[in-house]
Amino acid sequence: MTAFDHDDEVVVIVGSGAGGGTLAHELTTRGIRVVLIEAGAHIRLEEHVNDEWEAFGQLAWTDARTTSGSWRIARDFPNLPAWVVKAVGGTTTHWAGATPRFLEHEFRARSTYGDIDGATLLDWPLTLAELAPYYDRAEIAMGVSHRHARKALPANNNYRVFANGAARVGYNFYATGPYAANAEPYDGRPATIQDGFNFQGDRSGAKWSTLVREIPRAEATGNLDLRPDCQVVQITHDARGRADAVIYVDADDNLHRQRARVVAVAGNSIETSRLLLLSASSRFPDGLANSSGHVGRHYMRHTTGSVYAQFEHPVHAYRGETMAGVIADEARHDPSRGFASGYYLETLSLGPAFLAAFAEPGSWGPDFTALLDGYANTAGLWIVGEDMPQANNRVTLNGTVTDGHGLPVAHVHVDDHPNDTAMREHGYRQAELLYDAVGSVSAHRTPPYPSTHNLGTSRMSVKPEDGVTNAFGRTHDVPNLFVSDGSVFTTGGAANPTLTIVALAMRQAEHIVDLFSRHEL
Amino acid sequence: MTSHATTEAPRRFLESERAHVLLVRVIRIAFPHDTLPDSAYERTADSLLDLAVRTNRMTLAVANGLDSLGSLPAGDFLGLTVEEAFEHLRAIERTEFFSFVRGNTVLTLYNLPEVWEVLGYEGASVEKGGYLTRGFDDLDWLPEPRVEEYSGEFSRVEIGALPYAVTTDPTPEPDRRTLPDRRTAADRRTAADRRRAPKRPGADEVTL
Repeated sequence: MTAFDHDDEVVVIVGSGAGGGTLAHELTTRGIRVVLIEAGAHIRLEEHVNDEWEAFGQLAWTDARTTSGSWRIARDFPNLPAWVVKAVGGTTTHWAGATPRFLEHEFRARSTYGDIDGATLLDWPLTLAELAPYYDRAEIAMGVSHRHARKALPANNNYRVFANGAARVGYNFYATGPYAANAEPYDGRPATIQDGFNFQGDRSGAKWSTLVREIPRAEATGNLDLRPDCQVVQITHDARGRADAVIYVDADDNLHRQRARVVAVAGNSIETSRLLLLSASSRFPDGLANSSGHVGRHYMRHTTGSVYAQFEHPVHAYRGETMAGVIADEARHDPSRGFASGYYLETLSLGPAFLAAFAEPGSWGPDFTALLDGYANTAGLWIVGEDMPQANNRVTLNGTVTDGHGLPVAHVHVDDHPNDTAMREHGYRQAELLYDAVGSVSAHRTPPYPSTHNLGTSRMSVKPEDGVTNAFGRTHDVPNLFVSDGSVFTTGGAANPTLTIVALAMRQAEHIVDLFSRHEL
Repeated sequence: MTSHATTEAPRRFLESERAHVLLVRVIRIAFPHDTLPDSAYERTADSLLDLAVRTNRMTLAVANGLDSLGSLPAGDFLGLTVEEAFEHLRAIERTEFFSFVRGNTVLTLYNLPEVWEVLGYEGASVEKGGYLTRGFDDLDWLPEPRVEEYSGEFSRVEIGALPYAVTTDPTPEPDRRTLPDRRTAADRRTAADRRRAPKRPGADEVTL
């Protein structure tokens, strides 16, 4: 294992998920020395478990966070606003695998949707055409089905209900993907065995993650020093205002300092903004790279909801790739539906343990137990659509609650925007019609889970006063400080974000290499 | 705790058979399943009592919550009809006692393999080769669906109304407080045309 000295001037990447893991791979394979610091443990494939709560305990980021606002999470899961992973590989270790691209107009949200009350929409400083070559590279790296000659996944039971219902209500644009798990062996990884545990760690390696692909390959270059169980708690800067080191806490609560020529933060939206805020200094009193005041703001989580429908016949929806089913017809901007932007419908299934916890939080009695009694005959889907960015949907530091290291925890405030509510209602209704078309006997509307898609908080902008980073994720204030995760999303789009995070990280890596070669970094 | 001698401190009460029997009935009334074995409720109650004695806060809440079920205006909770018992739980659902029971039952009862089996969930599969050869695609009461992406006559619509009919509720008016109507006259015609569009072929005519 490569080990660099604490005084070596390396590129420091904070977080090893979709953004950080990809960036580490891209830089180390181009000969750049990287220290990749990960708050979670290095859990090997063979340690992953097919058990919902056990895997949750093994992987999830369960350090305290606090919440407020009108979103239902603040009532149901006040200390678990997000369901993300704290482990090497980050949230790619438990992501499902759906990989739609952003649509062309989703990069121009403000121009396309217009001025919506209460929303802080802004166009991206980036177009689909500019990102398209990186989408191609990301899809090839991840082995995305239906793309670049990769086979479609077969239809599992949940998809059989979903796709037949889709056809009967008149949808056309449905398929078992695009989806980043192998239908057949590819890239040194096996074909899926349809084990059904997509929200847990994947033992087989059929599902793409930075844990199975980018990190081992980066380590093989000799240019990667991976430090698991180490949490970066501050980024420091020199007299010129350039990042010069990170301070991190190890598992025994010892503080270390690692020198850096470049720092890239990819801690997933909530922790990324928390780290920038924890790095306030005399020069950056409101947090590092926060002269605009936008760090932590415009936090987005997608407009989501689920519908679980019961049938007279068995479904056994839990067997097979969980999210290998996508309907794209509603992912369009069509204000005649009563809201701006659009949403996807995607297959979803939970085991009884998670269904009981999430189907109707706080509920009990015969209506609740009926949801479980019909488990074997239940099909499920997820609504995932663009939510409106709002200035006060925001991550801040909690002034009174601290984590195990004694540091202020992140406080997440979210109010649902009326556009989000209207979209969710529309999605619920379309899902009910879809299941009704294939003979459902009941359908239950499940509220959003703790957020799995955490976006915004360090958004890209053309003008420094409108956001935190430029189109390459380079912060407007600190030239050698980058943000490399979903925090940079100017708006959320409807697509599941992982593919876009990977494509942006690939593009950012190329930019960093280019800046190095021109001695501009 | 007025009904108990001072030697019967809350923790000792929680270890008693009466506490266990009361809690089993509370869980059964709150989470009724005809199909679950008694052992599932018994194990859940044991687990909750073990959890309750770990902190003074929950010891106090659960011991007092259970003990006071013996002296309800309608009598002992164990003697109530199912309907009366359910109504009583409704009345106390905001208490810390009931919140503890509800929340921890959800986490415990539905995490028992014996419950999974009754509900028709097979659980861990990787050791058995996944569900690849064990029924991941055995649903036979619907036609074989298409798995490839659509390749028919329509292009994917990214902005505006769909050129084909989709079952939907009557189109709501845009919420003018939040959403300016930016549609052009042409867009509005399209939306109106869409509502007049012929209904899609019946399900049995659709090739999947």
